[in-house]
Amino acid sequence: MPDQQTSPFIHRTGFGLLLLVGAFALAGPALVGVDPAAQSLGDSLLPPDARHWLGTDVFGRSVLARLAQAAQRSLGLALLAALSAALPGVLAGVCASWCGGRIERALVMLADACMAVPGLLLVMLFAAMAPGHYWALYAGLALSLWVEYFRMARAASRPVLHGDAVQASRLLGFGRRYILRHHVLPALAPLLATLLPLSVAQAVLALAALGFIGVGLQPPTAELGVMMIEFFPFYSEAPWLIAAPVTLLVFLVLGMMLLAGNKEHT
Amino acid sequence: MSPRHLLHWRGVLLRRALQIVALLLIIGSASFLMVRSLPGDMAMRVAASRYGYDFVGQAAAGAVSQALQLQRPLWQAWLDWFSDLLRLDLGESLVSGEPVWHEIAHHLGASIDLAVVTLLLAVLIGLPLGIAAAWRPGGLADRFMLLFAVTLRATPAFLLGILLMLLLAVHWGVLPAAHDDQGGTLWLPALTLALGLAAGLARISCSALREALASPACEFARSKGLTDLQVLIRHAFRLAALPVLAYLGVHLVLLVEGTVVVESLFAWPGLGHALVHAVFARDVPVIQGAALSLGLVFILFNLLLDTLMLAIDPRQRKPGASDA
Amino acid sequence: MSQDMLLQAQDIGVHAGAQTLLRELSFSLRAGEVLTILGESGAGKSLLADALMGNLAPGLTATGEVSVRGTRSAASDTRARRALWGHQIGLLPQEPTLALNAVRRVGPQLEEVLRLVRKLPPGEAAGQCATRLSEAGLDAAAAQYPWQLSGGMAQRVVATMALAGGASLLIADEPTKGLDTHWRDHVTDMLRRVAAAGGAVLLITHDLRVAGALGGRMMVLRGGELIESGTTADVLAAPREAYTRELIAADPAHWPVRAAPVTGMPVLRARGLAKRFGERRLFAGLNLDLHAGERLVVQGPSGTGKSTLGNVLLGLLKADAGEVIRAPGLAATALQKLYQDPVASFAPSRSLLGSLQDAARLHGEAWSAVEARLAGLKLDACLLARRPHQVSGGELQRIALARVLCARPALLFADEPTSRLDPISQRQALQLLGDAMDETGAALLLVTHDEDIARVFGQRLQRFTGEGITT
Repeated sequence: MPDQQTSPFIHRTGFGLLLLVGAFALAGPALVGVDPAAQSLGDSLLPPDARHWLGTDVFGRSVLARLAQAAQRSLGLALLAALSAALPGVLAGVCASWCGGRIERALVMLADACMAVPGLLLVMLFAAMAPGHYWALYAGLALSLWVEYFRMARAASRPVLHGDAVQASRLLGFGRRYILRHHVLPALAPLLATLLPLSVAQAVLALAALGFIGVGLQPPTAELGVMMIEFFPFYSEAPWLIAAPVTLLVFLVLGMMLLAGNKEHT
Repeated sequence: MSPRHLLHWRGVLLRRALQIVALLLIIGSASFLMVRSLPGDMAMRVAASRYGYDFVGQAAAGAVSQALQLQRPLWQAWLDWFSDLLRLDLGESLVSGEPVWHEIAHHLGASIDLAVVTLLLAVLIGLPLGIAAAWRPGGLADRFMLLFAVTLRATPAFLLGILLMLLLAVHWGVLPAAHDDQGGTLWLPALTLALGLAAGLARISCSALREALASPACEFARSKGLTDLQVLIRHAFRLAALPVLAYLGVHLVLLVEGTVVVESLFAWPGLGHALVHAVFARDVPVIQGAALSLGLVFILFNLLLDTLMLAIDPRQRKPGASDA
Repeated sequence: MSQDMLLQAQDIGVHAGAQTLLRELSFSLRAGEVLTILGESGAGKSLLADALMGNLAPGLTATGEVSVRGTRSAASDTRARRALWGHQIGLLPQEPTLALNAVRRVGPQLEEVLRLVRKLPPGEAAGQCATRLSEAGLDAAAAQYPWQLSGGMAQRVVATMALAGGASLLIADEPTKGLDTHWRDHVTDMLRRVAAAGGAVLLITHDLRVAGALGGRMMVLRGGELIESGTTADVLAAPREAYTRELIAADPAHWPVRAAPVTGMPVLRARGLAKRFGERRLFAGLNLDLHAGERLVVQGPSGTGKSTLGNVLLGLLKADAGEVIRAPGLAATALQKLYQDPVASFAPSRSLLGSLQDAARLHGEAWSAVEARLAGLKLDACLLARRPHQVSGGELQRIALARVLCARPALLFADEPTSRLDPISQRQALQLLGDAMDETGAALLLVTHDEDIARVFGQRLQRFTGEGITT
């Protein structure tokens, strides 16, 4: 494939977007200083003002405070799921191409088995087993994401491990650690830098989609998808409401994709 | 057919057969665990969902409990669960009491309609755009495609669905939204799903075609005296078809996932919609049936793509083709 | 203008902005003639071919005028030249198996030229297609896919296709690159037949043997400039320029025979080795003794199992039968290897300095000793700051040699170490390799397809012919 280099500008834009969302998620709840769950039915559907920058929802809760909490939740859960899928996935992938033979075949079979169930379906099944629980969503996401890391790591490390450079290093007497550190890792690092943001984006989207159709996190939890479905009925009288979670989600996903670069991974 | 040819076919079939077994195991076990972990007295809930809470007596609950055989040890129940599954007995819906097969058959048809129209739309939008962009790098189509792809990749299906619903149905009144006669409502969910797929398809077909056009094979074809158009049609298309099919294979999963979300959004009576409803109602037999059918459709689509790729690329029938 | 004048090139030059990559030169070709452009990589040979075809990479501009069978056009007018592709000018691609479309059968790929370029009616095109294939001895090929052809068959197929559109001028850009003697002779033969049939051949090569065998006229290029021209026989017999003499001397056929080294204790013994590849027997019942200091050359055409033998001896592959016995007391790292593609034998992201230092540290070698060795191999220390792909093939192969010497090898297996190098760097690299072996007293197992190298370099020779082994 003709190597399409991502321009540093695109990269930096993505990084900047993520930094913004990340800072909002981390520091937001403290800065806003309003309890995101505090209801005040008298203040229902207030337009944005000095006290509530993004107005209030139908129960009079501060939308900004809820948005910050939702951002924290989505980003945190997605990051955790992606990272805990990446580690075993990459290890299993490298192990498969390193060992070959029966171990490789068994691992490939396991990955094939996991791929039989589309990711979102798996997350949904887990969510259905323990409705509204974080651990179920997390486990479902991690379980559906690891396969991609496995496939990537196996495909990328195989030619390296079977190549002349590793053979030469082995003949020279270098051990396993040297080969992993100087041959396998440099080959995996750029791919990982692409895959990690993409799978975080994928996880964020899956969470929002499940919340949106009502089988993910449940109200009154503040979650992006849940907020969207809550605000949807008011899109013409209070468009700023629905715009808030949508903008945040698009920023988050766009940031991740720009950071990943415009390489198509197949 | 040569023995080698058959050998390769066996590999493909074996892989997909293994996936079907895995699908049964994963979804069957998950559903089984779901039944066992239903909060409260499940018999009571089931009875309530059938007869309404006012009419649930101890007797009715007992009858349900008996029917569902809830009092047996775990392993025995698990075995029974799977023996039912293997006999393709999916049981009855806890909500409607109808056989699950009955419900699924209806939804399956709707889902397949949606998937086929989506694929057609995606191909009709994505491929011409990708080909035009590859033909003139830096041209109008190329730049438009980049914008199209980036925008759509950052827009999740449910947002796109809402946008289309608001624009096309509510504001412009071009297309009917949900709850209409069936023929008309198909377009919005199909378009929602197809746009996302088309963006990816345009990108991958563009890059695959560019790579094919720059390959030594196409360079030689040009030096033989063929015109650019002849090279494109006779050589580049077939060379580029393989990466495009491989892309479809990987991203088919997006179509299945999108189906679940978009069907719920537009109330399209397909498997995804049924699944989400069943999750709400904790109607485990229907969850199991719908998830199994969705998974099966997914695997069968994959098998279809495998077949196409084998048919197009004779190299794949060569032993050890994957290393070459 | 006479009828048999096929190509006239006038003041052809290639520029990248203000930089001149190829200084203006003129020549002409008549029917039945062969013109060879000789030079090392970077001499501008391929630029000349691209300029004639009107196929230069973007950013490069051609100057001058090209006239094909009397049709004149400016060298920069790529569109005018494009119209001649296939009809007047045929191009013989470098790697025939890659130039054919792997997912279509051979027959239709030839037939389309006859139908769309020659504009023959379908029935006649099909008939001609069959005739041409059978004339080239390729009757069975029509229904085959390109990857089912042998290298030589593919070579004949692309030549048939390149000329099928009616072209009488054939441009062949390094058609023998990476081919062994057998296929090289085959290509030479085919090009000679094109000229004999009234065509003209423009051959671009660095291979003196092909040029010598084809005869005709020759132009020698260096650094984008024409330095010598004349009939091939004259230039090869009495070169006027020092560079041409150097090029000719670098041809293995002209090397002096290397003196036999002092041999010592046995390093490795193989008894009854056998290995198959799929259904094919590569070797069986092979016995071999290697002694310290010895130079054993294994020579034969590609695909006959030469490299496999080396890998079995090093323990990188398992033999189907027989055993390899190492001399007692030999360190585990005493057997080392040099690779055909030196770039692939280094970690791509590590600097050469890092790779060398790692090896020196692992084997307890002082860095000053490594530096002295690099100087002995005529390597500039500033090269080491670069990555493997940033130095030339000849330099990298010498750095690879310096690296394996850190392990103090008792046996070095060199697997076609110079087959991808230009003649002059090939000669230098092999000379230094031989010197290093003499100095360290290590045994050398050199695998090559080149008969001349085997003759001048080997002390003992093992020949692989494909059917069996002769010693």
